[in-house]
Amino acid sequence: MLKAENIKKSFGKKTVLNRINLDIGPAQLKAIVGENGAGKSTLVKIIVGYWKADEGKLSTKCSIGYCPQQTLVFKQLTIEENYRYFAAAYGLQPDERINQEHFNYLMKLFKFEQYKNQKVIQLSGGTIQKLNLALALIHQPNLLILDEPYNGFDWETYHSFWEFISLYKDIGNSVLLVSHLITDKSLFDRVYQLNNGKFDA
Amino acid sequence: MRKIRLYISSGMVLRMILRKRIIPLLLIVIPSAFFYMVYLTTSERIMPFEVASIADKLILQVSERNSSFVFFAVATVGFLSSYIGLSLIQEMVDVNKRLIICGYHPIELMGSSFLVLLVVIIFVSTYISLSMLLFFTPVSFAGFFISMVMSGLTYGCYGLLIGSVFKGELEGILLIVLLANIDAGWLQNPLFYSGAQNKMIIQVLPAYYPSQMAIVSAFSSYSTTKILFGSIAYFCSFGALAATIYYQKMKKK
Repeated sequence: MLKAENIKKSFGKKTVLNRINLDIGPAQLKAIVGENGAGKSTLVKIIVGYWKADEGKLSTKCSIGYCPQQTLVFKQLTIEENYRYFAAAYGLQPDERINQEHFNYLMKLFKFEQYKNQKVIQLSGGTIQKLNLALALIHQPNLLILDEPYNGFDWETYHSFWEFISLYKDIGNSVLLVSHLITDKSLFDRVYQLNNGKFDA
Repeated sequence: MRKIRLYISSGMVLRMILRKRIIPLLLIVIPSAFFYMVYLTTSERIMPFEVASIADKLILQVSERNSSFVFFAVATVGFLSSYIGLSLIQEMVDVNKRLIICGYHPIELMGSSFLVLLVVIIFVSTYISLSMLLFFTPVSFAGFFISMVMSGLTYGCYGLLIGSVFKGELEGILLIVLLANIDAGWLQNPLFYSGAQNKMIIQVLPAYYPSQMAIVSAFSSYSTTKILFGSIAYFCSFGALAATIYYQKMKKK
């Protein structure tokens, strides 16, 4: 699904990523762990196509959904309006039946139904974080890239998150989770440790 | 699809702007407050002044109050438009980056901000032009209305430009207030201009053409076509520069 070979990225004289190799196949759950400033977000931005690597090859054979670390949603819009806006970004017609059904599915999955017409600014931090994740799933991607996804989750939401990830993986999709802390490594097919721009062996 | 995306984006941006309570409030309250202030502080005495942009030496004899209304109308539209332009870019920059990752083109997002800015400018210009009728009737109402739109477009695009260059709200607001205050709020005052020593400097500032157009259309029947082109050139330059910088900053690298 995704293959990165010898990815190198520098900013000025500082090498942030140095010959990174990463391979994600179908129905895999992998993680990248590293300290702040290790280069995790830089790598994610290269994978999602926002930045270009200075060297190396990146090939993706699937659609990617990206959930950023910050809650990047429009706070003056409602949940439904955010959905429509991002659907347009993905090139989807929000009013088409199939997209409407998927919207209803996401509403149920994240328990948004009672809030869908409320402005995001009026919602709790956990609900906004869930919306942040839901917006990455609008176009039904095969690979989900999550940058520190559970900041602000309460215990119940954290559990539902892992239930969702398990369900998502079971239908053949993959997840790349980026975090500075992974508590349960057994959940993952592989955990990469990023240190000074390199994966530890 | 591009048209639909632009339509959806413009609609969402307009909703966001209108839902910030301070913005509709500013759009209604500031013009009324400025006009009321002019009404309270000016007299009806006749002041002669020279119109700079007309080739024939044109001296107008206008009451201090009426010339102040026109001058403040241009400045008010300029202030409000530049603030809206700045807000449209600065407040959405991070989420817009995510939209770009998801598939929006930076120019589509800038285009929708511009369309919303245009709607706001037309609203404020209409409101101000109609309010002006309570005090006096401009010789050419259409020309006066267009001059308001031109002031809005020039300063609105200046706001978009400042928003594209500076990330911090404080720097942005300072730069807007600084130029708008010196230019539209002071140097373009026709009474000040008549006695100014170095008129060349005043003539290259952004509010010069809209101010001249407003004065000429409000108090004379001279043609304002040439002034209109000057104004269009100014806002197009600001707009093009804003779009270029925004694109360079926001595009996928």
